Amino acid sequence: MSITSDILRGHTEAIILSHLLEQDSYGYQINKDIMKKTENRYELKEATLYSAFKRLEQAGYIRTYWGDETVGARRRYYAVTENGRKAYQSYKREWEEAKTIIDQLLK
Amino acid sequence: MNERVKKYLDELFEDAPKTRKAMELKEEMMQNSMEKYQDLLSDGYSEEDAYKNVIGSIGDVTELFEDLEEKNLLNLSEADRKKKAILTSVAVGLYILAGVVLLGGLIVEDMAVGPRNIEWSLIGLLLAGVVCIAPTCMLVYAANMYPDYRKKKEDFVEEYKEAKHSSNRDKAVRSSISTIIWTVVVILYFIFSFSSGAWHISWVIFLMGACVEAVCSLIYSLRQKN
Repeated sequence: MSITSDILRGHTEAIILSHLLEQDSYGYQINKDIMKKTENRYELKEATLYSAFKRLEQAGYIRTYWGDETVGARRRYYAVTENGRKAYQSYKREWEEAKTIIDQLLK
Repeated sequence: MNERVKKYLDELFEDAPKTRKAMELKEEMMQNSMEKYQDLLSDGYSEEDAYKNVIGSIGDVTELFEDLEEKNLLNLSEADRKKKAILTSVAVGLYILAGVVLLGGLIVEDMAVGPRNIEWSLIGLLLAGVVCIAPTCMLVYAANMYPDYRKKKEDFVEEYKEAKHSSNRDKAVRSSISTIIWTVVVILYFIFSFSSGAWHISWVIFLMGACVEAVCSLIYSLRQKN
């Protein structure tokens, strides 16, 4: 399990980008989606999530805005930028390549 | 709204830097935690289990806090450290030079070389004063530009105790050094004045004493740091 979570943690940013490409979202929503898609096998720690947001924002891959909820506290939404879209695509290509190689090597 | 979750986050952010970014992060985490908490309750969790689950999923946020400083002063780069060391050592050198200039003036006057009508000791004193300006500025600059490195990751309570302990010891050593210096200075003043009769100028010994004290406390604090 620890190897799995290590590998997964290394892809946190790509996972977030992939989610944001579907639609703008906020922290808890993203985590909920991740849990749903993995059938509750994987959940990001909030600390991991926010430090990934920060790195992505600094890299210019995502931008953020505050929602205008009328009820309850406001949410902070994230959206992918054009640079983020490009970064995700090249990341995806690299991942496919790495996956093929590892599959070839681990039999 | 769950008060316990709110309280937990309040405590978590107590040590965070008080910046706009930190406040926003707190608001964001608060909002997400509350939403999760509500979802867990409607999934049939008990309040206690929901609370534990929410807290457990927050994880270690110390790493987040470190980047929240608007300007990160925690890590002096190698270059800055060198610069600081050079500044302080040059400053100490200049203080010593000031002392030498002062002594030089006194000796010249005492040995009666050079024109008689010039107050050599006074000139020496003034020059020494002027020489002292630069190192003082340098030390103030070095101290303000680069605040001392603070370990953030360690346990805060332990760190506090340690700091308190060492600062007590620090104070004791400093005050005893200072007492020794001033006692010696007073003794020297009387010996020198009575034996030479030069009461009009012997008071500069006190200035020299102040200078020696400054140098000693500087050397001491430099040693403490290493």
